[in-house]
Amino acid sequence: MSIKRILISISMVMRMLVRRRIILILLGVIPLVFLSIVELTTSDRILPFRLASLDEEVFINISEKGISFVFFAVSCAGFLVSFIALNLIQRNSAVNRRLIICGYKPQELLISVLFSLLMIILLIAGYIGLLTNIFYEIDHLLSFIVSLALIGFVYGCYGLTIGSLVNRELEGILLIVLLVNIDVGWLQNPLFYADAQNQLIIEMLPAYYPSQAGIISAFTNYSSALALGKSILYGATFLIVSMALFHHKMRLFK
Amino acid sequence: MILEVRDMFKSFGKKEVLKGASFSAEPGSLVGIVGENGSGKSTLLKIIVGEWRSDRGEVILNGSVGYCPQRPTLFEQLTVKEHFQYFSAAYSLDETRWQNRFKQLTELFGYTRYENERVSHLSGGTQQKLNLSLALFHQPRILILDEPYAGFDWDTYLKFWEHTHYLLTEGCAILVVTHLLSEKDRFDRIYELKNGVLI
Repeated sequence: MSIKRILISISMVMRMLVRRRIILILLGVIPLVFLSIVELTTSDRILPFRLASLDEEVFINISEKGISFVFFAVSCAGFLVSFIALNLIQRNSAVNRRLIICGYKPQELLISVLFSLLMIILLIAGYIGLLTNIFYEIDHLLSFIVSLALIGFVYGCYGLTIGSLVNRELEGILLIVLLVNIDVGWLQNPLFYADAQNQLIIEMLPAYYPSQAGIISAFTNYSSALALGKSILYGATFLIVSMALFHHKMRLFK
Repeated sequence: MILEVRDMFKSFGKKEVLKGASFSAEPGSLVGIVGENGSGKSTLLKIIVGEWRSDRGEVILNGSVGYCPQRPTLFEQLTVKEHFQYFSAAYSLDETRWQNRFKQLTELFGYTRYENERVSHLSGGTQQKLNLSLALFHQPRILILDEPYAGFDWDTYLKFWEHTHYLLTEGCAILVVTHLLSEKDRFDRIYELKNGVLI
C-alpha cells in the first residue's frame, strides 16, 4: 500500500464531493428545513420516553418539540451521510475500476473513501448538532454531536453497502430513504415505539442505539456509553460487509 | 511474444460470446480486431485487462499495459490535469515525468487549453482524447484500445495514427478493436471476431 496514492486519492475524492452542487445544497438546506418545520408544527406537550437501552423501566418526560428536534436531527444526519456514502462508492465505480487496472489497490481507494466519509460525518454531525442547539437547548451538546456522528457512521456504512450492491443511483436512494424513514422517522419515534409490539425487531434496526444515545445526551445525565458502544458495533458490521462487497466488485482477474 | 490469448471462452447465461478465441501480438506490431456490434470484441478486451473473468482460456502479457475503454471512463467532477495527477499515482510516475507526459499528450491531441476544465464541461471528442491519453500516459509496452478514435475530428484522427506509428517504432504492441476498419493497410494483422472465434 502506498501512502502517496492514498493521499492523492483522498484529495481527489474531497474535491469531487465539494464540487457536487446537489450535495452542498442538501447539506445546507435539509437540516434547516427539517428543524424549521419542527419549530413551526410541534407542540410543547410532555411525553414519556422510555430509555430502553438503559433499562426497561427508565422513563423520562420530554416535550414533544424536544423529542421531535432530536429525531429530526438524527434522521437528517442519517439520510445525508448515507446519501453521500452511496455517491462516493457508486457514482465512480467504473473509473475506480480503471484506476485499479492501472495500478491502484482496491484497499487504497477504499481507505480514501472511508477517510473522506469520516470527514463528512464529522462535518455533518457538528453542523446539525449546533443547528439543533439553536432551535432547542441540548443538555450535553458534545455527547449529542457524538451520537449524531454515530448515526452518520451506522448509516454511512449502510450507504456504502447499498452503493456496492446496487448499480443504479435511483434504486440506491430509494433503499436509503425507505430505511431512514421507517427506522428513524417512524419505528424509533417514542410515539410509536412506546406501545409497539415486538420491540425486539425495532431494537435490531440501525438507528436504535444512536437515537437512544441522542436522547440520553440531549435530555439526561445518564451515561450514553453503552448505546454509543453498541452503535459502533452495529456500524462496524455494515462497514465489514461494505468493505467485502467493494473488494469483490473491484477485484481483477489476472 | 508480448501478448498472447489462448483458447478463450466466455458465456453470459446461455449466450456463448467467445468460443475458443486465440491470437497473439509481437513487439512493434499493430493488430486489429473487427466484428459486428455485440460480437464480443469488448468482452475479449475486458478479459485481457483482467476486468472480467473468462470461463476458460489463458492470457499472457509480457509488459505494462495501457487500456483505453470504449466509453470515456473519467471522473466528471475532476479537471483534465487532476486526471493526469490521479492516474500518475496509479502508474507510480514521479512528478517530473507525469508533468512532462501531461504536457506532451495534451499538446499532441490539441486540448492544452482545457487543462483546468472539469470533464463534465468538455465535449465528447475532448473526453475521448483524455480517455486515450490516460492509456498512453505511462508509455506502456502493450496498448489495448477499444474504439479509440470514436468522436475524433479528422486532424486528431491523423495525429492518433502518427503517434501510433511512433509507438510501434519504439517496440510497443498495439491492439485496436473497432467495428469499422477503414484503413486496413496500417495494420500488420487483422482478425475478425465471428461466432466467438477470431478468423
